[in-house]
Amino acid sequence: MFTSPILDYSLLAPILIILAGALIGVGVEAFARKEQRAPLQLGIALVSVVASFVQLLRVRNVRSLKAAIDSVAFDGATVFMQGSILVLAFFALLLIADRGNFVAQASAIPGSQDEHSSIAEGKSQTEVFPLTLFAISGMMLFAAATDLITLFVALEVLSLPLYLMAGLSRRRRLLSQEAALKYFLLGAYSSAFFLFGGAFLYGYSGSLSLTGIATAIDVNSGNDVFLLIGIVFLMVGLLFKIGAVPFHSWTPDVYQGAPTPITGFMAACTKIAALGAMLRIFYVALSADVVMWRPIVTVISIITMLVGAIAALSQRDVKRTLAFSSIAHAGFLLTGIIALNQSGLKASLFYLVAYGFATIGAFAVVTLVRDSAGEVSDMNRWVGLGKKSPLIAGAFCLFLLSFGGIPLTSGFIAKFSIFTAAYESGNTTVVVFGVLTSAIALFFYLRVIVMLFFTEPKSDAVTVSVPSLKVKLVLAASVIVTIVLGVYPSLLLNSAQSFASFLR
Amino acid sequence: MFNMALHVGSTQRPEAVLFWVMAPMAVLAALGMLLVKKAVHSALLLAWVMITLAIFYIAEDALFLGIVQVVVYTGAVMMLFLFILMLVGVDSSDSLVENIKGQRPASILAALGLGGLLLSLIARAVTNVDAVGLTTANTAGNVQGIAQELFTRYVWAFEVVSALLITAALGAMVLAHSERKHTSQRQLSVDRFRQGSLAQTAGLPASGVYARHNAVDVPALLPDGSAAPTSISPTLQARGDIIESAPFELAPSVEEEN
Amino acid sequence: MTTRTDLVYLIALPLFSSAFLLLLGRIADKWGHFFATAISASTFGIGLYEFFAMRSRSGDFRAATQRIFEWISVGTFKVDASLLLDQLSICFVLLITGVGTLIHIYSIAYMSHDRDRRRFFAYLNLFIAAMLLLVLGDSYLNLYVGWEGVGLASYLLIGFWNERPAYATAAKKAFVANRVGDVGLSLAIMIAFTQFGSVTFSGVKDAALHASSAALTALGAMLLLAAAGKSAQFPLQSWLGDAMAGPTPVSALIHAATMVTAGVYLITRSNFIFDASSTARLLVVIVGAITLLFGAIVGTAKDDIKKALAASTMSQIGYMILATGLGPVGYAFAIMHLLTHGFFKASMFLGAGSVMHGMNDEVNMRRYGGLGKVMPITAVTFGLGYLAIIGVPPFAGFYSKDKIIETAFNAGGARGILLGGAALLGAAITAFYMTRVVVLTFTGQKRWADGTHPHESPSLMLIPIILLSVGSVASGFLLNKGNALVHWLAPVVDASGAEGGAELFKPIVVSALALGVVVLGVLTAVLKYRGTVPVEAPAGSPLTRFARRDLGQDDFNHRVLVLPGRAITKSLVGMDFHFVDGIVRAVGWTLSYLSLSLKKVQNGYVRSYALLMTIGAIALLATIWLVTL
Repeated sequence: MFTSPILDYSLLAPILIILAGALIGVGVEAFARKEQRAPLQLGIALVSVVASFVQLLRVRNVRSLKAAIDSVAFDGATVFMQGSILVLAFFALLLIADRGNFVAQASAIPGSQDEHSSIAEGKSQTEVFPLTLFAISGMMLFAAATDLITLFVALEVLSLPLYLMAGLSRRRRLLSQEAALKYFLLGAYSSAFFLFGGAFLYGYSGSLSLTGIATAIDVNSGNDVFLLIGIVFLMVGLLFKIGAVPFHSWTPDVYQGAPTPITGFMAACTKIAALGAMLRIFYVALSADVVMWRPIVTVISIITMLVGAIAALSQRDVKRTLAFSSIAHAGFLLTGIIALNQSGLKASLFYLVAYGFATIGAFAVVTLVRDSAGEVSDMNRWVGLGKKSPLIAGAFCLFLLSFGGIPLTSGFIAKFSIFTAAYESGNTTVVVFGVLTSAIALFFYLRVIVMLFFTEPKSDAVTVSVPSLKVKLVLAASVIVTIVLGVYPSLLLNSAQSFASFLR
Repeated sequence: MFNMALHVGSTQRPEAVLFWVMAPMAVLAALGMLLVKKAVHSALLLAWVMITLAIFYIAEDALFLGIVQVVVYTGAVMMLFLFILMLVGVDSSDSLVENIKGQRPASILAALGLGGLLLSLIARAVTNVDAVGLTTANTAGNVQGIAQELFTRYVWAFEVVSALLITAALGAMVLAHSERKHTSQRQLSVDRFRQGSLAQTAGLPASGVYARHNAVDVPALLPDGSAAPTSISPTLQARGDIIESAPFELAPSVEEEN
Repeated sequence: MTTRTDLVYLIALPLFSSAFLLLLGRIADKWGHFFATAISASTFGIGLYEFFAMRSRSGDFRAATQRIFEWISVGTFKVDASLLLDQLSICFVLLITGVGTLIHIYSIAYMSHDRDRRRFFAYLNLFIAAMLLLVLGDSYLNLYVGWEGVGLASYLLIGFWNERPAYATAAKKAFVANRVGDVGLSLAIMIAFTQFGSVTFSGVKDAALHASSAALTALGAMLLLAAAGKSAQFPLQSWLGDAMAGPTPVSALIHAATMVTAGVYLITRSNFIFDASSTARLLVVIVGAITLLFGAIVGTAKDDIKKALAASTMSQIGYMILATGLGPVGYAFAIMHLLTHGFFKASMFLGAGSVMHGMNDEVNMRRYGGLGKVMPITAVTFGLGYLAIIGVPPFAGFYSKDKIIETAFNAGGARGILLGGAALLGAAITAFYMTRVVVLTFTGQKRWADGTHPHESPSLMLIPIILLSVGSVASGFLLNKGNALVHWLAPVVDASGAEGGAELFKPIVVSALALGVVVLGVLTAVLKYRGTVPVEAPAGSPLTRFARRDLGQDDFNHRVLVLPGRAITKSLVGMDFHFVDGIVRAVGWTLSYLSLSLKKVQNGYVRSYALLMTIGAIALLATIWLVTL
């Protein structure tokens, strides 16, 4: 009667290695001496990310739906997305390990004697490393999961550590804690929608697996109202994660409040995971019902682009600006779902990597601009930084230009290919709006560049601190990738092309 | 709505009676949970809702789920809630004054809208449709059926949940656990003598010393009659909960609070 | 077609060396020039090897390609970074690397006192790499990269002594004039892409067979504009004279032998377009004829030896352009003249450099005189170049120029007479002004400034000059022997359909005529400048004054282009400010208003956010409610 399940561990190994790293990290917290923890944790985290990536490379040509009894699809898109999550997470970890971004002791009340003494003792909350690893494992699973239960579990596994880490900023702690609480509450709210939607889809098709739902739609067996409620509620949960309007309102507050490295990690990697899951759901499960959802997603995409681009105009805080820019990018990314063709998938994969690197780079720069009290994210105080520190400011401009989609940066190729894909599929409206909002968005990117380079610096204590080796690595990698993918995009486009497929 | 009521009414009579008695009470309890002022009352109403749900599950042949609902939610989770409420203080209640213009009516409208839309949609969908699949699912028995699914088809998801639990535990540690150094009195006095100056070797002045008040937020007075800012807890200072010291000083004030 | 894998080294070596020397900085000051020269020489070695390898292959397999990487792949539009080495490119490769190497050697001595000699050599190598890319690219887009590269190198080298504002201005002028031509090239590429869907030479060639004549004419005109910018042809010729601000080796290499002939290369390479459009061909011959006369007339009036030579370069390239416009028969002669010109003009420029080296950098010929005795070797080599350029048999210029004049006469009808006449007149004026240069510089009495002690240049400078003058003596004969070059190039320029044309005059008659006018020109010049030459230039006739002012080209540019341009710009700025900016500002205000109202929604209260999410969900549900009604 009961047959024991067979798991294909070699295909699950990339995720399992990360989980193992996280568990070892938890063990280190318990047993290692305080001063040893930080280097140990960083080492474990980096090693497990690299090991996981190596394992992923070893099995990159395997295609299987049975890795975890129909729960995980190991296909081209999975390999590509897990790989990009790992690569970006590697750099995010370097950023996280850089000094002075995290609270010394999270349990100490902000401003209390406790806090002062823990700072003085040089304590640090090294738990962020295992937490990051847990988040990475959740992301990797989220991009690969093929049934609604696993999707939900993965969603929670990736979200919970992020909720926590958002509250661990070293400076402006109350803002950070507030952000974490907001993120948690709204995240729980959206998870509820996701679950509710999943229940309706089960009610419609009698199946929780994406392929099962697809079959049910094909034979048109169930109740259309259930299907539509299911799609819509599922969408709410997913759109919340990528920060699409009107489920975006957490983004600016959380991006601003969270420790900058975490913001970078969240912006780059969560986008990949959430969009990956969304692409999979829409391409695999719901593609037959495209007439019903395409108009809805189109409208959301357009509103998202518009709100992201327009709201960014009046922001005064660098991190908030980047948050709104990420909202606008979520809108652009949705065009890849609207396209619903192979080139749309390819373009989305390319876009995610290009955007991820530029984002991590941009937030790396944000960690460097400081005054005596720490990070300065007020944009008015960034004025004239280009004169004080042309290299760093130049790198920041490069990332902004990439966000804006200026030719010879990766962002241009990304936007170009994703809009081409949407155009090919006949969705001209969204392309028109995409180009229009890109122009609006360009305005605020250029404004920042003008502020950095063409305005006289104020005599202010704001300086660009000398980046440590880790931050240098992150910046160098981001700059190189942004330029190389802009000048010679075939390098990644070709592999995105060959990996752009879902198993059904 | 009417059709739906008819439809439900046409199921087995005892179950229908049960439903129509319990369901309104559950809805009322749920609403009350939101509206009552005291946290304990709210928690109890929540327990009521959960127990009602458990009864529904059992009535719907989902025996295992019903029992788990009682054991886990009503038993464990609710107990935790109540513990925490007692720790925080049973009497504490949050301010329910709404300070955003238009938030409350908009929320009520949104709640009604969402509920109404969902109700009418579901009503439209389930009218004249029979639920299927329950007997198939329960052929081997309810518990056995769930076990079968949980340990074969969904074993991976089930295992991954452990990551969630570890994260939660770790998170609780991060947010709540603080490593306190237990420094002995002896060590403290040694430290005092070893610091840069001997000015505070005798310890910080206590608040209110030599002052006309002995409240914690009133600074002590130094022998010359001026205020000693070090006599007030830095936490109070940080919060700004500190009383202007000038009226309490003996000599004309030279030094203000920092 | 042969596939090879080593073509890329031709470009990679000098490019690497350039980057290497620039990045290394002062450490390489001691040996950088030797390194660059060695690199250039080894490039020449590779070029020779490729040449012999090509000769050993039979006809159809002579052209070789190498695909380096897939450069752009967007949808159906694919461009590879690929190289094409065929009979035409190899001529250029040998000329560029050969003459280039000699000029490297020359520069070691010429620039020996300059602090930035290493930087100079790095730029020279950069130029070699870019120029090789230009002639080796297998598509217009690859060519364009090289085209911009040589423009950059030229800009850097003209302005090499940029501490002198005039030189920096000259560099800028060259850059801007080139830019106008570059717009032509980029438009041509866009036309090719939109009309033919391809930018490779072979792709455009195939598509040109059945393209509309309008498209071909437009394409031809844009290519001609590009050629005019790069090769200093009418009406974009004004920059070349000022470009002489750069060090003399640069003038010899870039602004005489190689880069300025890129226009000729471009037109020859695009022969399939010009063959198919007679209108485009007509434009080409008009530009060529005007420029050859224009340059010659300007040359008669210049007292600056380098500017006189620059004017002559302009005129000689006019000949080449004229030849390319004469249809399939003309291409080979254009290339032949290009190669011979490369030798004799480089040799004369280096000779001029040698003179300047001895004369404390004096460039005014009225300050020279009687230098033949002091600098015998320079004088002799310069004399050989002189005989070659005016077209005295059996020197190189005779063969190549004679062929062009002949072909021009054979163009048929009134056009033939006009073009042939212009070419002939040009030859006469060339003889006049070149004689003037030689007479003023090397004969007559000394008019040196005080404190000048002219001397022969070091042997490191003389050896390249001697080698080049050997070329200017012999190259014409060798290239013409048994029509060697014509046959060699035949597969590229497709001269098969070339009709012999009704010969207007017998070749011998044309040669006689040409020699006649040359003798006339020489005699006039000798008679005019035999006696005492005033050190200060006399006022001269209005025509002379006009010619001194480059036939008013700068005034023309100023009046016709700059002033109206300014006026238009001003009105545009006005309109931009009031109208366009008005709209932009209105959009800006609207956007910032919207932005601020969005900011209000972002009020920071989690319950508001949740409400917003709920409203979003309601909107979605409502949509469904309506759809499923």
